[in-house]
Formats: sequence, C-alpha cells, structure tokens
Amino acid sequence: QLVSALHRLTRHVVYRGLVRAEDILALFPENFHQNLKNLLTKIILENISAWRNEAQASQISLPRLVDMDWRVDIKTSSDSISRMAVPTCLLQLKVQEDVALCGSSPVVSALTVELSKETLDTMLEGLGRIRDQLSAVANK
Amino acid sequence: AANKINLIPQDFFAELCEQIIQHLNHKIPGVNTAELCQRIQTSGIELNVGDLSKIANIVSFLFSTAARNHLSTEELITTLSDAVSTLPKHAVQVIRHVWNEQGKSISESEDARNTATVGQFVDLKWKLGVAMSSDACRSLKYPYVMVALTVADPSGQITEKSFEMTIPQFKNLFRQFKEMAAVLETV
Repeated sequence: QLVSALHRLTRHVVYRGLVRAEDILALFPENFHQNLKNLLTKIILENISAWRNEAQASQISLPRLVDMDWRVDIKTSSDSISRMAVPTCLLQLKVQEDVALCGSSPVVSALTVELSKETLDTMLEGLGRIRDQLSAVANK
Repeated sequence: AANKINLIPQDFFAELCEQIIQHLNHKIPGVNTAELCQRIQTSGIELNVGDLSKIANIVSFLFSTAARNHLSTEELITTLSDAVSTLPKHAVQVIRHVWNEQGKSISESEDARNTATVGQFVDLKWKLGVAMSSDACRSLKYPYVMVALTVADPSGQITEKSFEMTIPQFKNLFRQFKEMAAVLETV
C-alpha cells in the first residue's frame, strides 16, 4: 500500500509538472509528519527532471532512430560493366520499434540504403527544409 | 504461387507486369506491390502482400532471364508453357503482350544502376511535430521530427519505413549527411 501510494504521488507530480517545493508540499494532508513531508519533497524535487525525461523517452511513439552509420564506396566494376568509377554512398539506419510495445527487450531493425550523388542532394534539400522550419519555430 | 496468379484479375496482372518491365528498363525506381495489393484487396479479392511479392519476384526473374538470353516472344511463351502448365490463359496473354511491346528494350544497358545489392533510396517525406501532452505528463511540449523513407529493395519492390527522432538526433543526422555529400564531391 505504501509503495503504491508513493508511486501515485510521484506520477501525479510528474503529470502536473510541479517543480516548486510549495506546490509539492501542498499535496500532503494537514496533519502529515513535518520532517517526513520535507524529506519526501526534497527527494522528489531531486528526481523530477530524471522522471520527466523518462516519461518523454517511454511515451508511445512511432519507431525511433537509434543509430546511423555510413560509408562512401567507389564502384569499380560489375558483371555488366568492366570499368567504372562511380562513387556511391551506403547508409545504415538502426530503428527501434515502438518502445511501449516491446517492453524490456526492444526490437531493432536495420535499414540499409544506397544513395547516389543526386539522391543524396535530394535528401539534403529535404533535411535543409526541416532545419529551416525548426529555426522558424524556435524563433517564435 | 503459380496458383495464386489465378486470383489476380487480368487488368491488375497487366499492371503488375507493366510496372515490373518499367522497373527493369529503369523507367521507374521500383514496383509498388503494397499499393497494388491494397487496390486488389479493395476490389474484393483475398490476396496478401507476401503472395503478391512472390509473384512479382517470379515475373521479374522471368523477364530478366528472358532479356539476358535475348528470347523472342514466341520463345518466351514456349519456355514458359513448358515450365508452368498451370498458368491461366489470361496471364500468358498478358505476358506475351507486355514482352512484345517492351521486352526488347531491356538491353544490357551500360548502367551503374544495374549493380543494386542493397535498397535504393526513392523518396523522403517529413513532418515536424510537438507532443503536447501524454498520459504520463500533462504538459510535455516535446518537439520531434518524423521521417518516412521510401526505399526500393534489391528485388525492385517499394517499401516505406517511418521513424521519429529527437531534435539533437536530427541535427546530428543533418551534419552527417553534409559530410557524406562533401566526401562524395571529392572522391
């Protein structure tokens, strides 16, 4: 019962986004033991940002990017062409499926994609637009 | 899988063959099996994407082998009938027609694109969002970037992969891409 009550208290604090000692102290009933109240409030305040980050990280979401590796190769020959010098880019994205669904053993899938110079430029253009939008939103 | 071909109505099968030949001719990046399957299902036919993919692979292999061996339409049909006797007549008709029209142009094109061993990038779609609230946090205000990557896998079929990333991850991704482009420039 004690653990359950503490759990509910901390979840409530994170949910409401309470950050000031006064707000947390106000949650306790009138005749609550003074020192215990202060101690609990202090502990909660210390952990609040870690718990909040935890809540953000484990919320429902679409698959998340966890890692990205790349490599630039030059294709020198193939069964249809004996000599060439075509630069090409290999990109591997590691994506973790929905954290909430996987629980403690998350499933990570790898997506390997080849990009030529043209397609890479297209990607960059798209990403540049995201970056511009981000700055526009940040400045508001 | 040859039995499943029976399920596909002629016009859808023709569309599939068209896409396959156009992909082999490098006119389109890949075959959109998922989208085609959805339309087939909407018209009331029970066919799953896995089966359609297998059929697409078989037809693709058929066409590319025929191209490599410079088969004429008649040779192709004869070889096909010898190998698979259970093919429905309308399917054979479609294959004959498509090969007649476009089979010759699958030349052994001197093209670096023939060397695909991994997925080929097709398109990038994105969305910038802010998660306002959740069951754990009433006032979240968590910004994120959502990306949908369209990729043509080595067999020529188009798949889409969606994922999200945090803003710092996005900035890192962007930086890495600029580095890749710089290396590609100088190589």
